[in-house]
Parts: sequence; C-alpha cells; structure tokens
Amino acid sequence: MWKKVLAMMVGVGLLTAAVWAATPQYGGSLVIAIGVEPESLDPIGMSSAPAATVSEHISQPLIYLDVDGTLQPSLAESWEANEDVTVWTLYLRQDVAFHDGAPFNAEAVKMNLDRFLDPASAAPFRFLLGRVTEVRVVGEYAVEIHTDDTFAPILSHLTHSFIAMVSPEQLRGLEPGETITNPIGTGPFKLERWDRGEQITLVANEDYWGGRPYLDKVVFKFVPEDAARVIMLETGEADAIMRVPPLDVPRLQANPVVDVVYATSVRVIYIGFNNLRAPFTDPLVRRALNYAVDKQEIIDVILDGVGQPSTAPVVPAVFGYYPAGPYEYDPDKARELLEQAGYPDGLKVTLYHPTGRYLMDATIAETVQSYLMDVGVEAELITMEWGAYLAYLQAPPEAADYDMYMLGWGTVTLDADYGIYALLHSSQWPPDGWAVGFYENPAVDAALDLARVTPDVAVRELLYHTAIQGIWRDAPWLFLHDEGQINAVREGVHGLIHHPLENISAWEAWVDR
Amino acid sequence: MAWYIVRRVLLVLPTLLGVSIAVFAMVRLIPGDPALAMAGPHATPEYVRQVRLDLGLDEPLHIQYGRFMAGLIRGDLGRSSRTRRPVAAELWDRFPNTVELTLASMFVATLFGIPAGIISATKRYSIFDSLTMLIALLGVSMPVFWLGLMLMLLFSVTLGWLPSVGRGTLLHLVLPAVTLGASSMAFVARITRSSMLEVLRQDYVTTARAKGLREGWVIYRHALKNALIPVVTVMGLQLGILLGGAVLTETVFAWPGVGRLMVDSIGARDYAVVQGAVLLLAVAFVLVNLLVDLTYGFLDPRIKYT
Repeated sequence: MWKKVLAMMVGVGLLTAAVWAATPQYGGSLVIAIGVEPESLDPIGMSSAPAATVSEHISQPLIYLDVDGTLQPSLAESWEANEDVTVWTLYLRQDVAFHDGAPFNAEAVKMNLDRFLDPASAAPFRFLLGRVTEVRVVGEYAVEIHTDDTFAPILSHLTHSFIAMVSPEQLRGLEPGETITNPIGTGPFKLERWDRGEQITLVANEDYWGGRPYLDKVVFKFVPEDAARVIMLETGEADAIMRVPPLDVPRLQANPVVDVVYATSVRVIYIGFNNLRAPFTDPLVRRALNYAVDKQEIIDVILDGVGQPSTAPVVPAVFGYYPAGPYEYDPDKARELLEQAGYPDGLKVTLYHPTGRYLMDATIAETVQSYLMDVGVEAELITMEWGAYLAYLQAPPEAADYDMYMLGWGTVTLDADYGIYALLHSSQWPPDGWAVGFYENPAVDAALDLARVTPDVAVRELLYHTAIQGIWRDAPWLFLHDEGQINAVREGVHGLIHHPLENISAWEAWVDR
Repeated sequence: MAWYIVRRVLLVLPTLLGVSIAVFAMVRLIPGDPALAMAGPHATPEYVRQVRLDLGLDEPLHIQYGRFMAGLIRGDLGRSSRTRRPVAAELWDRFPNTVELTLASMFVATLFGIPAGIISATKRYSIFDSLTMLIALLGVSMPVFWLGLMLMLLFSVTLGWLPSVGRGTLLHLVLPAVTLGASSMAFVARITRSSMLEVLRQDYVTTARAKGLREGWVIYRHALKNALIPVVTVMGLQLGILLGGAVLTETVFAWPGVGRLMVDSIGARDYAVVQGAVLLLAVAFVLVNLLVDLTYGFLDPRIKYT
C-alpha cells in the first residue's frame, strides 16, 4: 500500500531525485545505464526513446515539453498564429550559439526543418510535420511555419526530440544522404565520444545559453540485460539506471544507498478487439470483457504496483484526457452481459500478444486469459516475436485473422490527437495506419477531425472529451493499464529529471560526493 | 605443403558462397517485414513504403542477392537500415572486441582445462579426478546466462573484487572470459583426459617407463604431445564456436561485440548487418579451422599433407 501512496505522490510525472534540500555543486560526472543503444543521434534518423534521451542533452527542439506536459519556451521564446491558424510565427532567442560557434537564427531553423521535411531524408517521424508546406525566414530571429490547413497539434509536435536543431555549418558539410554521427547542437552538453555498442560520453557545454550545467560529464552506458543494470547500480558502477525489472524492486529498496524512483509514462497498454469480427461486433461483448479483468490486481501482482488502471485511451498527462473509466472488475456483470449478447455458454477467441516488448507483456496476456476463462471466454494465446507481430497486424480488414491483440502506445507529443487519431479514427485502418481493431464511430471520427482544425484550446479539449466518452462506451479495446516507469538512483545524485516520455535528463543534475 | 595450403584456401571460397546464400535466405525466411520493423508502429504507411523501396525490398529475391554479391565483391557490405551507417563500419567497431573476448576465454579454457585433464588422467579414479569431471560436467551444462549473473553477484556485488559489466581494463575481461570459457574449459579437460588415457596405454609409453624414465618425463615428454592432437582439434572448433557463441555472454556483460550487434539487428530486421556479421564470423571460423589443420603437422610428424 505504501508503494501506491508513493506512486501517487509522483503521479503527475515529476520527480527529481533530490530528496533533501541542499546547494547544488559544480563538477563531477554521472553514469546512467540504459537498456538500448540509440540507433542514431542524427535527429532525422532517430526513432526511439533511448535516442531521444541522449540526443536531448546535445541537440534541442524549438519548444520544450516539460514533465507536466506544458509547452515551455526554449530555443523559441514565444510564438503566435495568424487568424485562421495556418501560419505560426516563432520568435527565437537571440543569445544562442551552436557548439561550433555558429549562430542560432531563423536561417538555421529553416535549414533544419527543411532537412527534416525533405522526403530524401527519410525521417521516420516526418509525419510530425506532415502538414507543413513551407518554412519561411521573416527576420533574423523569426520564422514562419505554414501548414496546408489548420493543424492544431503543431506546437506539440515541434517539441519532439527528433525535430532538434544542429549546426548549419555541419549541415552544409554533409554529402547527400550522409548521416550525422557527431551532432553539433545548442544543448547543455557536447558529444565527446561514442564507443559503439558500449557508451556515449558527453561533456558540459561551458557556454550553454541556459547557464553551464553542474556536471562536467555524463556517460550513458548501454546494458541490455535488466539484472546487469541493477548490479551496476548496487556496485556503484552506475549512478542511475532506467527500467528496473519489478522483481528486483524489493532488493533495491532494501539497499540504503539506492532510491527507487517511480514515474509515470505516456504509454497505455490495451488489448484491442477486432471490431469487424463476431463476437466483437457486439459492444455488449466488448464491454463484458472489460468487466471481466481485474486490472488493479495485474498491476499489484505482476507489475509490483507500478502503473494504474486505464481510465481513457490516453494517460492523464495528455492534453484532452478525460477520466471516463476505469471499468471496475465485476465478473458477474461480465457473465450477465455475455448472456444478454447471446453467449450464455461462453465463447472461443484468439488473443495475439508480443513478448519482451512491454513490461511483463506475456505474463499479463496469460493472466488476462485466466480472467476471461473465469467468465466462460476461452482465449487461445498466440505469442509472436515483435517484428513478426507488427507485420502480422498490418493486414487489411478482409485479411485480418485475429480476434484480440495486445499492444501499447505512447502519446509522445502529450496531445490526444497523436494518441487517439492514429489508433481509433476510421481513416487509419490498416494498411493505411494503426487502427488495427477496425473501430468506426462517425461521431468519434467527427470530433477527432474537428479537434485537428480547431485553434481554440478549450474547444479542442471538449472535443476530445466527447470522443473519449464515445470510445469508452463503445469499448473497442479491453482497456488494461497506463504503464509506469521504474528507475533507480544512487544516493548523492540530485536533480535528475525522470520524464514521462521515458527520458532521463541530467542538465539540472548534480552530485555531492 | 604449399600446394596443400593453396587447395585448402581455394576450398574456402565455395564454402563461403554457400554461407552467403544460406544467410541471405535465412534472414528473409524470418517472418516479419524489415521496413515495418525499422519504421515502428508510429510510422506512416508512406514512410514504410519508402523504406521498402530504399532497401530494395520490392525487387525479386535473385536480384537482391545479385546486388548483395556485387557489393560484396567490391568490399561493400551495404548500409545498416537501423543506424544508417555502413555495415563494414559497424562490424569494424565491434569485431576486435569479440576477438579479444574469444581469445581470453580460450586462454582461460586452456590454462585450466589442459592441466585438469592431465592430472585427472594420471590420477585416474582419485578424488581429484571425480571432482574435476563433476565440475567439467557442470561447466558444459550450466547456462551461460545464469553463470554470468551468478559470477557477477559473487565477484562484483558481494566481494567487490571485479567490475560487473562493460569493457575497459583487463579486470573487465575476467568475468565474461570465465563465463564464455567455462564450457570450453570443461570440454578441453574431458578431451585431454580421455586422449591422455588412451595414449598412456600405448606400447611406447610402456617402453619409456620400462627404460626407467621418470614418470613426469614420460607424461610430459612422450605422452602429452601425442595426446594433444585431438585436443587441438577440439580447441580449434571451440574457438570457432566461441567466436559465434559469444552472443549471450556479450548481452549479459554489455560487451560491445559482434554477437550483440547481431541480436540487435535481428530484432530490427536489419538484413544488411545480420548478413555481414554472419559472413564475418563464418570467414573467421573457416580460417581458424584452416590454421588448426596446419598445426597438426607440427604436433605429429607422421601427418603428411598431400
């Protein structure tokens, strides 16, 4: 129980490791062990959270999305839109230079955004700026971003770590198709070296526009084995580690020099129904299964209390979130609904799930299977390796051969558009998108469409509330839980930011040893 | 002898051609779409289509293979779809680390395996013999994964003698080398023992003893050299196996080698890197075997190369 209380205390997503107040000190270095090596530090080549984690220290986006989901001025000091919200003007800081001394200005922004948008760059996240038609320099420190129509989420998209600024000098020196391996950005740290397969070393940027960071050095080590990261923290070979396996939490908590940090994530885990296939064409059946599973128990027992039952298709930190749920555990009600739907003797379905992709995914699928069995639904589990699974879920409606599928989704822009539109708008059915459950509700579609082109923030929020309520009633998914993150930090390390985007940031961190 | 070497080297070529076809076919038989695996669930369909085009995955298989071979002849292994760097650069960054780990494991295996085998054979059925063979049995059957973590717990956490993971000092090499070398060590010990027992039964050993030579002289001067031939064969094979089998050890100990690169690349369906890595390891394996074949002549003058 005390674990839950602690989790609630940090429930909003912010937790700095500073446990007691003390004066920050300059100097020292910090070793952070992460599970996966970044695929690239070239903003246009990045596609994962570990890449973002490291990259953010070096190359910055124009706007910063802080831990509670607010847009904070960063390289762009302020911004405004024209009347029909198709042109955004960003006003830039005037005191910023890249690590190579090149000035940061409107020209640099245009070069970076144009490179990101160039189809030849093949940026995996190009769609973030998919509606942008032109980037125009309108002053030394002002740029205009033109979109083909009103596209309200654009500012959130600009916060993405993959739309980061690198030095125009560096960009000019690139051969066509060449990838940047030593990004030169504006951030608080500079890349010192990248030992492939091993670690990335960053050093403090003495001239950082936001003031020199406290630390002299930050080292990110890539340690794929969960247990090995825990051991590194215990021996002091690492000062902070990400993704602590729930099983090891009690051991770390018993260690007096280690703090276990619970933080929220932006990822929801769900089991989608194939809404085009009987029995899941019937909302009664879909709702019944939502009542049949005890999500809190899954969280408590399998996830060591980390996470919370989903109350919407997006997590509470996301703009547009509305607390529509949760579906309380009620097996009697589930049986009753199944009977009403015409399945008094139960039914048989298939449940596809990945393994090793999400925290304890396979174990959770097995547990769901036993809950469903309890109300007379016999689910056959089919486990697939991630790469094969993704391909399998891209079948068009007529070829889709699954009843239920487990997936997770992180709303990394913290704007509901990114989380809901892609998964539940009927225009996004495979093979054109990731609405793998083939859900369709014209009212929900209309609300989502409107929210994309409505500049008024309050109205947008209402539109998402409407959409979420409709989705919750229709129950196109078996809503499971909002994932949490477990990190751990050694004593004497202060000011680390554990971001819900599954990043760990060290620019405000310091050590007292 | 020279002619033998030339012939053996020429034989390597069809072997590698076979390997290249097998590797090429295998990575494509794994279910899953590399474009999709690379783009991830957040990517738009246009992007996935473009990746497919960029990787040449829309072409028929024989054309893809042709491209792959043409590149290979020019020494171009292609580009990693995950990191966008040349495959050769990815491999070059990691291969020396894998070689380092492999040689260290072989060293550990030899250092402990051969003496243990000799003593077991000469003190047959003694407590030492039973104990060594029991440890050898454990060494062969213990999962690398588990052994690695146990060693880390003991030597890094509890005793604090050795660093747990990563690469750097010589101390960093100890735990992964022991972990990877454990099964080879056991293997070498067992082979040395049985080979030694066999040689000790031979007439010339009896003769040597009858001449009144000291037992130590008989064993090390007369018996051991001949007993080593099968041991060297096994060690050569083991070296090859270690090179390719470092995958788990490299993962547990966060060792930046080719094996771990291969695992990451298979997950991302990074065909070019998987192909390159397997080819590299295959070449290394074949070369090691060639070397082993050539060593026989030095160990046993009765072996002639024709």
